[in-house]
Amino acid sequence: MIAARARAVAWSGATVGVLVLAACAHDGRTTILVYSPHGKELLQDVATRFERAYPHVHVEWEDMPSQTVLDRVRAEAPNPQADIWFGAPSDLFARAARDGLLDPFTPSWAAEVPPEAHDSAERWYGTYLTPEVIGYNSQLVPDSVAPKDWDDLLLPRWRQKIILRDPVESGSMKEVFGAILARSVAATGSTAAGWQWLRRLDKSTKEYAFQPTVLYQKLGRGEALVTIYNMPDLATLEQRVHIPVKFAIPTSGTPLVVDAIAVVHGTHHVAEAQWFEEFVGTPAMLLVAARDHLRIPARIDLADDSLPGWIRMARRQIRPLPIDRALLADSLDSWMQYWDAHVRRGG
Amino acid sequence: MAPAPARRLAVSTRLAAWALILVLLWSVAYPNAAVVAGSFAHGLGYWRAFIESPADREALWTSVWISVVSVVAACAIGVPLAFLLARREFPGRRALRAVATLPAALPPLVGVVAFIFLYGESGVITRAVQAVLHRETPPWSLSGAWAIIFVHAYTLYVYVFLFISAGLENYDSALDEAAAGLGAGRVRRLVRITLPLLMPALAAAMLLVFMASLGSFTAPYIFGGGLRVLATQIVTTRLNGAVGVSYVETTVLALSAVVALVLFRWLERRRQYVLPSKGGGRPARRRFRSPALRLAVAPLAAAIVLVLVLPHLMVILVAFARDGAWTTQILPPVYTLDNFRRLATDPAFLSPVRNSVAMTLLATTANVIVCTAVAILIVLRRFAGRGLLAALAALPWAVPATAIAIGLASTFNRTDLPTARILLIGTFWILPLAYFIRGVPLVTSAVESSLRQMDASLEDAARGLGANAWLVLRRVILPAARPGLVAGATLAAITAVGEFVASVVLYTHANRPISIDILAQMRDFAFGSAAAESTLLIAIVFLFTLAARERARA
Repeated sequence: MIAARARAVAWSGATVGVLVLAACAHDGRTTILVYSPHGKELLQDVATRFERAYPHVHVEWEDMPSQTVLDRVRAEAPNPQADIWFGAPSDLFARAARDGLLDPFTPSWAAEVPPEAHDSAERWYGTYLTPEVIGYNSQLVPDSVAPKDWDDLLLPRWRQKIILRDPVESGSMKEVFGAILARSVAATGSTAAGWQWLRRLDKSTKEYAFQPTVLYQKLGRGEALVTIYNMPDLATLEQRVHIPVKFAIPTSGTPLVVDAIAVVHGTHHVAEAQWFEEFVGTPAMLLVAARDHLRIPARIDLADDSLPGWIRMARRQIRPLPIDRALLADSLDSWMQYWDAHVRRGG
Repeated sequence: MAPAPARRLAVSTRLAAWALILVLLWSVAYPNAAVVAGSFAHGLGYWRAFIESPADREALWTSVWISVVSVVAACAIGVPLAFLLARREFPGRRALRAVATLPAALPPLVGVVAFIFLYGESGVITRAVQAVLHRETPPWSLSGAWAIIFVHAYTLYVYVFLFISAGLENYDSALDEAAAGLGAGRVRRLVRITLPLLMPALAAAMLLVFMASLGSFTAPYIFGGGLRVLATQIVTTRLNGAVGVSYVETTVLALSAVVALVLFRWLERRRQYVLPSKGGGRPARRRFRSPALRLAVAPLAAAIVLVLVLPHLMVILVAFARDGAWTTQILPPVYTLDNFRRLATDPAFLSPVRNSVAMTLLATTANVIVCTAVAILIVLRRFAGRGLLAALAALPWAVPATAIAIGLASTFNRTDLPTARILLIGTFWILPLAYFIRGVPLVTSAVESSLRQMDASLEDAARGLGANAWLVLRRVILPAARPGLVAGATLAAITAVGEFVASVVLYTHANRPISIDILAQMRDFAFGSAAAESTLLIAIVFLFTLAARERARA
């Protein structure tokens, strides 16, 4: 009986202890929370450097897919948790801005960002440019036969060998599909050719992966050979995780996604959030991001010779696909719904 | 079911009963009602969009047929295994019995990941089979409907096994012996006597499997390969910004579950037999008569044990494998302690563990208090709201976790006292509340079943001897409730500590649980760290089980 009571006391003691621990974890600094899909490596680096520059601010972050950030910021609007939204294709930011989820802010470097890479009402600013590229398993696909351009993906060689992120969840895939359809409209005046192209791609696609990690695993271990993905993530995969992947920059041109940053509407730490946005766009931080994390700066004032070699090369190789942004903003949602209902897995 | 004694309620008890009904109405029924109301926010507009969408129709149909096949598959494994372990004696029986319920202790996300490593196209088993058969291509692909059913069968057969085992435990062999004496053959006895007697247990287990498959999110999310089921379609629709239609999908998912509930309950009632217990007792375990069978059964048992343990082993193995080194080989080629070292040196690592354990303790404590009170009222008291209380306590069975989460998210998104809304979104408290709701039917039904075995006259005797209500509760009722309470609370705690489906919708930075951290590790390319953290989660589940065993014995 006594033992039982002692055990009960120990249990409740442990419970209280855990709760107390959970409740207090502060040290007097202001904490700001960043929602971002950029990944631990880049986020940790930016946070550490920011805290060094602003010693009374503590940065915490939550890493999640870009679509999920939008969903979360929307769901939490009555009680905003994030102070800063750092990273996602700009059309997601445009949608959030339209719904009143973002606050305007003019960073000191605003003038150095070209007009198509920021919101006209300054609710978001581009930080990086992300090219969409073709990735392939470099152990199983020799460079000589690797696909070099979009149309190569339709070759019979890749039938059922392609794995893609599910475009419903992936901003990148939406961007590519949108570009294919917009290209078709620009060339022929209608989306018909674009739909036909996407149908053929669907026939060659073995799987639409919900989870990026599933895609990495399957690509790395040869379950599928080819994918469409963004350049920084593929490069990270190869350099850090040693998964055997290489990428090819499509020769006919590729969507260059503007990756943006914004202050979340309703944050209790407006000044700190603005400092963070300001800090991410400074030349020093853009160079760190370029050198160590393979991000191409959106600012156009950085001297070419200050940038790492691969960016200079990529800048030469990448031909940005001219995309009718207005058309995309109007049509992308309905296009994706049509794709989901009528093209995916044979429709 | 023994009729409850018609005890008149003291005013305080009646107040307590209505307080409990209010608590459950608010936490369990209200959010779901809000979702249903939300689906009609545009009249029938959202419903029309749902009916006209081929994707949604496909999702509904796929959800239903996958669930039906999952039930069949789970029964095909669970029933023979229960019979084998209850009726036969063979070498390896104890080992098999010990691991038979292991799949239930595998947290959802972890289990699915283990399956990829084992049976995925580049998994250990797949590659081994491929090598043995000298095939160019993998012998199968773990993708689509059959992959989902395979995972369901593995994780959900445990329900069938447990229920049938319990049924066989209480099985009175007198009827069997009588039938044998009258000349009925073995098959005839099985079909005419044993199976009908086990029907209620089987129906209850089938219901659980059906519900779990219908609401299953992780398996279709990871292996679906683009296959549409309702549980994932809800999330997809939300991500596409069509919140109204996602309410319709949530409502349809919950409705399908309720239809199944009614159907299975009917099946259960229709086939309920009350046997006068004549003490024939449980039939003794016999050895197999044929020598061939006797030889075959031990290796077979060993093989089943291995299959059951493999997912756990695989997670542990990957936790020691070096990330990225495992490409085309059958087994990971390089081993290291780095994954655990990285976890231990990460300053942020402790907080998800602390969060999950704290939220689990909170939710389970609330479950213990509320559900014990509810079960006592349902079993031992009679009052006007009893049926309502029982229905409310059972409701979360019928509502899949995704639907519960969406309900909470759309109800507790602002403080508005006239409509009983409190702002919980973005706070720590939303997840403990979700875990609590998921635990309500588990703990209540477990305590109920213990209390039903209590002799109701004990309470009267104690009162007659002058014990006050408090003493009766402490000395008579709670000891009787104890076995079910321990079992139910353990189950609730195990479910909560690895919970993924509701967490992924509701977590915030302040309460990020272990399962979400595992997902984040995976997103960060760190499969080894994800596996190391999963190993830790398995260890926590194991500790909970040990603690429960200790409590049950004390």
